[in-house]
Amino acid sequence: MDEKRSALFTIIIIASVIVVFTAGDLIQKDRLFSETENRVLASRPKFSLDALLWEDYTGKYEAYLTDQFVSRDKWITIKTYMDLALQEKEVGGVYLGSDGYLIEKHLPSDYTNVQVNKKIALLEKLVRDWDAAVMLVPTADNILTDKLPSYAPYYDETLLLDQVAQHVGEHYVDVYSVLKEHAGEEIYYRTDHHWTSLGASYGYDAWAEYTGNEAGQYKAEDMEPVTEDFLGTLHSKVNLNIDGERICYFPKTLEEPLKVTYDLEKEADSCYEKSYLDTKNKYGFFLDDNHAFVEIETGYHNHKSLFVIKDSYANCFVPLLIPHYEKIYVLDPRYFRGRLYEFMKSYEPKRGMDVLVLYNCVHFIEEFAYIE
Amino acid sequence: MVFSSVVFLFRFFPLFFLLYYLVPERMKNIVLFLGSLIFYAWGEPVYVVLMLFSTVVDYVHGRLLERLRGKRAARLVLLSSVVINLGLLCFFKYADFLIQSVNGVLGTSFPLFELGLPIGISFYTFQTMSYTIDVYRGQTKVQKNLLDFGVYVAMFPQLIAGPIVKYRDVEERLHNRRITLVDVSQGLQRFCVGLAKKVLLANNIGELWAFVGKMRFQEMSMLTAWLGIVAFGFQIYFDFSGYSDMAIGLGRMLGFVFPENFNYPYISASVTEFWRRWHISLGSWFREYVYFPLGGSRRGRPRQLLNILIVWMLTGIWHGAGWNFLLWGLWFAFALTLEKLFLGKLLSWLPKGIGIVYTLLVAVAGWVLFALETPAQIWGYVKAMTGMAQSLADRQGIYLGRQYLVLFLIGVIACTPLPKRIANYFRDSRTGFHMALYRFGEKFIPAAMLLLSIAGIVDASYNPFLYFRF
Repeated sequence: MDEKRSALFTIIIIASVIVVFTAGDLIQKDRLFSETENRVLASRPKFSLDALLWEDYTGKYEAYLTDQFVSRDKWITIKTYMDLALQEKEVGGVYLGSDGYLIEKHLPSDYTNVQVNKKIALLEKLVRDWDAAVMLVPTADNILTDKLPSYAPYYDETLLLDQVAQHVGEHYVDVYSVLKEHAGEEIYYRTDHHWTSLGASYGYDAWAEYTGNEAGQYKAEDMEPVTEDFLGTLHSKVNLNIDGERICYFPKTLEEPLKVTYDLEKEADSCYEKSYLDTKNKYGFFLDDNHAFVEIETGYHNHKSLFVIKDSYANCFVPLLIPHYEKIYVLDPRYFRGRLYEFMKSYEPKRGMDVLVLYNCVHFIEEFAYIE
Repeated sequence: MVFSSVVFLFRFFPLFFLLYYLVPERMKNIVLFLGSLIFYAWGEPVYVVLMLFSTVVDYVHGRLLERLRGKRAARLVLLSSVVINLGLLCFFKYADFLIQSVNGVLGTSFPLFELGLPIGISFYTFQTMSYTIDVYRGQTKVQKNLLDFGVYVAMFPQLIAGPIVKYRDVEERLHNRRITLVDVSQGLQRFCVGLAKKVLLANNIGELWAFVGKMRFQEMSMLTAWLGIVAFGFQIYFDFSGYSDMAIGLGRMLGFVFPENFNYPYISASVTEFWRRWHISLGSWFREYVYFPLGGSRRGRPRQLLNILIVWMLTGIWHGAGWNFLLWGLWFAFALTLEKLFLGKLLSWLPKGIGIVYTLLVAVAGWVLFALETPAQIWGYVKAMTGMAQSLADRQGIYLGRQYLVLFLIGVIACTPLPKRIANYFRDSRTGFHMALYRFGEKFIPAAMLLLSIAGIVDASYNPFLYFRF
């Protein structure tokens, strides 16, 4: 009898795991969008005999079930904690660094010489034709090397930067050295792959030195926080229960009135968009997240214009240049399908304009492209 | 359908078993058969017909054999069954491989069929063949009930990846089986263990192999190469034995007792022993239906060695349509031959540890042949493993070692009977406290394994899209 009773309890305990979650899953309604994963979740596929036999209906149905499974996000957190328990220092392509830093992983084998040379050639041409300045910002794994897990491999960007410097000569702005100098400060976010506003301010110092302006305009104490709960892109990859962090900005950049136009239609009076602070994607606060083209008319009437070709790294940096230009044009080539030179010429005033290329090293290799 | 999926665990499993346990005895086989068809058709909506065809073919052959018992025509019927089954298997599995090889040798360019491989065909054709051969030999009674025979072939636990169940192993229970509470509870426990082996061990360790397998050999240090192939060895063992555990567990829940398919192969002290512990049902099938009919060891030593060679070539090629699989089989034929000749005797005099290390090395070398496809890849990998091509250890290798260290340690322990011995110790202990601990563990450990496995399954589909949404 004891044997039978024990068996019954075993059945009940194990089976209840299945039963509880089956019931929960059947009850729970489908979600359209996952904030954590920043993508649309699969919806129920349509059934037809054709779909079943030839169009992988069952595969799609399974993807739908898994995407919509009850407590999906919590399961992923459990899995990450399992990985942590196994002493793994890397989850989903993100290193779990010391001091609470999540650092995105990049491997040398991810990028080929062919690819790198192609991008540098493209860059060189742009620099020559437009007298452009080049700022390539190293990623966190290159600057915060002491925070990486021991022996963690990473892509050494100094080789890339040296190569770029060689090709663009005096147009190269050395961001690497100044960031390395301040590596002990909070110049990268702990949960996001971007540099912080403080990091951007040091980038500004490098730019100032290059253009012959005064460095040290933006100091740490001038920053003001806009949120304390920021959980960035890297957090989404690991989905751990950690505290959010702070995002700051420099109020100095708003001293004079601004007119900002996004994608030739949406207008705003600030380059900072507060509504993002209530969503998960708080970094979108800077320059209203990702747009193809942003036009900033500042209150500094010095007849100078700047054209920036950039990735999202520039978003918290561009506002720092506001006091130096009357007009700033910001272009993200990822979203731009036209001919670059033509487009730039259409905005170039008679007296010419400054051109700046601003990317982080990895995005530069992966994304930098334009059609002349 | 795959056991380690949301659709199986949270739709098929609860609904099927609810129905199965509720219906009376005489209707259980219908439920089982139809449920198995749905299970199979879910993954193969078109080729399910093929599986049914194979079933009907051998059902008919079985009845014919009974009719023609003792007559010469019986031999033709047997031949017909073997030809049809092997024909189907060869056509779907090996046709393109043969065509490619012919093209390569003769310089021709015959077009390939490019048909997908029907899931489980290597398993169910072998199962139905074992039935007809056994009926012919008089070792089993014919099955007159088409439904019952269909249940034998199509039963979902072992249809897709074994164990290869001989008809006589389930004959008794095909009709009128009693399912006790103990059957269900032990079946559930076994299922959970198998699921954890697959999702928590195999899938995780497999990531290491996936990573190393993509590297170029010129960039691989010796450490990295060894870590990679050992990871593969772990992955394939936990994946396959985990699946067998799940199949055996589910079979138990249905009221059947399937034979064991794995018996801690990595503690073997010789290659001969290894193949009595690894994929037991396949080795048993080849022994009974190929090795013994060829004469086994009863026709003198030279003939025995030839028989071993034949059986192992077939075993190799059964695993996959590729020359590397043939080489893999030959590699074991070579080791087994050496052991038959003198090595086995020698090993029995030496301490067991040496035998274990030797066996593991042979197995690991075999995995290199199994896991890589082309001679260039194999040779490149072997060079990396010797440490002569690149460095002995590099940053990448050390990092991988540290990342997977704990998982490897768990893997090593899970390859031994140690966890089972510990559990049995508590179960058989006289101490009230120990017994209580066992009672608690046997319920909650499988449940915990199940929960963690679910996390692993859901996580595998996690796909964050970082920069923008369209």
